[in-house]
Amino acid sequence: MTIDPILLGHNQFFGVNHLEAGAGNQKAIYFSDTQRILEVIRGARELGVRGMMMSTHERALLVADEFRKDGALQKEFGVYLLIPDVAKYIRQANEKGLVNAITDSLGSTSMTEKLATLLSGGIGALTGDATKVLTTLIDFEVGPFRDLNLKSIVLHDVLADLALGLDMPEVFATFDRHVRERYGAIPGYGTKNLPRMVAMLKRAGVENPFIMAAINKKGFWVNPTLAECEQCLRTEKLRLLAMSSLAAGYLKPDEAYEYLYSLPNVESVVVGVSNMRHGEETFGAIRRQLERRV
Amino acid sequence: MRVAVIGIGTMGLLHAGILNALEGVELCAMADKSNHLLGMIKNHKSVPVFDDYVKMLEGEKPDAAVIATPVKLHVAMMRECAKRGIHFLVEKPLSLNAHEAEKVLQEVADKKLVTMVGYVLRYTETFQKAKEVLSSGALGRIQGFEGTSYVAQLFQGGKGWRSNRKDSGGGVVISQATHLLDLLHWYFGEPTRVTATCQYLYSEEVEDAAHAQLEFDNGVRGWIDCSWSRRHHRLLEIGIEVQGENGTLSVDDDSVKLYLDDAAFGHGAGWTHWSKPDLFHGVTIDIGGPQYTRQDEAFARAVMLGGTLDTDIVSAWRVQKTVDALYKSAERRGEPVKP
Repeated sequence: MTIDPILLGHNQFFGVNHLEAGAGNQKAIYFSDTQRILEVIRGARELGVRGMMMSTHERALLVADEFRKDGALQKEFGVYLLIPDVAKYIRQANEKGLVNAITDSLGSTSMTEKLATLLSGGIGALTGDATKVLTTLIDFEVGPFRDLNLKSIVLHDVLADLALGLDMPEVFATFDRHVRERYGAIPGYGTKNLPRMVAMLKRAGVENPFIMAAINKKGFWVNPTLAECEQCLRTEKLRLLAMSSLAAGYLKPDEAYEYLYSLPNVESVVVGVSNMRHGEETFGAIRRQLERRV
Repeated sequence: MRVAVIGIGTMGLLHAGILNALEGVELCAMADKSNHLLGMIKNHKSVPVFDDYVKMLEGEKPDAAVIATPVKLHVAMMRECAKRGIHFLVEKPLSLNAHEAEKVLQEVADKKLVTMVGYVLRYTETFQKAKEVLSSGALGRIQGFEGTSYVAQLFQGGKGWRSNRKDSGGGVVISQATHLLDLLHWYFGEPTRVTATCQYLYSEEVEDAAHAQLEFDNGVRGWIDCSWSRRHHRLLEIGIEVQGENGTLSVDDDSVKLYLDDAAFGHGAGWTHWSKPDLFHGVTIDIGGPQYTRQDEAFARAVMLGGTLDTDIVSAWRVQKTVDALYKSAERRGEPVKP
């Protein structure tokens, strides 16, 4: 399966802004009307964008409903699903503890889903079989989005980096197998530690991995250093989905993408836009560099 | 060094993941009372897991431990570590109240142990930059400050140990605003007078919001306002604004904004703005944010090379005294209390 070269980001729709939380809140107000999110998605599609990142945020469920109403979006627009919705779990874990957060989430599903979850992995979850817990969590998060054009399922960087730090290659092997076999989708891995993650996936037996990581010439969110990440891209076999390519809005599109496409193994870039003027500017800058590269 | 983790919740896992990846550090064991997560770790990790942390300390003899359990367990666990000469990093807040932690202070001093309390914002770039500017004296005499701590987290009666005052010591003040209070201690010293009010919006036993005025020994005065039931704050947002004779400074997780009437100590007149990308430095491994890595590295370095930390339990004990004073004042309907 091919990966789309430009993906629309989703953070701006759900109030995430890494330069300023206040600006994130302002956008959350604007995008509280789901139709405005759809306007941006349709606009991006007109500008040639063929897929988007989507979290499993509760508001993303409303976006998925709109996709279903619009046959073209449901069948043709690629969805790169980022799981799980880590912010939700952390907020809940702060309040009631991690175990309660996970069990309550699983408990909030409908009876049918609950039954399906229990049959497929719930018993495993109770007995503490890590593989079952992971595949159950994947199924639980992916379930409501299954009938969309799911191209990739991406493991959230917080979870992926935790498994990286704890040195658990089996987590990646399990995720990879389950996503391929059950969903026929490309398994993706979010990370803030590109070189380390590449080494880990190699150990886990995941070949030519699809990795979502920050890369920008400012070095923002690039660990351990920009030089080491550039070296990794030059010498390792991987498909990079570049994020934070504008360093959270710090860089201008032209300088940002000139840098990005000077690097090898950049297969795709995810970038959030809030309106069409912004979209034309950003996607235009990417396209100019892509054409130059070809 | 060999490090053991007590408590496998969000913070325990985070520290375990970071420490395990640091050069010279080996994660040697983990302990938790809950079987859920222990089972997961057991299946996938070769490190031994225990349901009794004392047995783990006895059997594994780690050089250091991370304590990431409900607050009411902290003091007993710190004492078990201290007794065995084990250095420790304990999550914030230090204890249910300042008094119960006092015995630990002495035991730790006697054994010359390295201790750290998880006031991680001291390792966040923006708050570090603000400390640097404030220490430079560029603002001139400090006139006052405003501090806020908000998150949209709780809109119905809470669940779990945090909603139970006996287990948590309190609500939003002790569990979240202590980050803010710790920064104010770091920036301005020790408060000498606290007046406060608390609000119980959804919870019965613990406060969901609080407002307090603080006066420091150097004459600096200001107020803090905190709530975990504040809509439109997706993540915990902590911010401080400072007014000085020569200008203003505002800092939060995202940026530092300085305004000076006159250039001073290397900072120009007018606005200077540092955003997160300006201040970012890569770390060995980033799991929950680079500040946690810097924090754990500082702890590991102090244990391995010897040294002291300004985020130790003495410093956290002072924060605890301020929390106690705040609660006492709120109980007395806003009467001023000396910490």
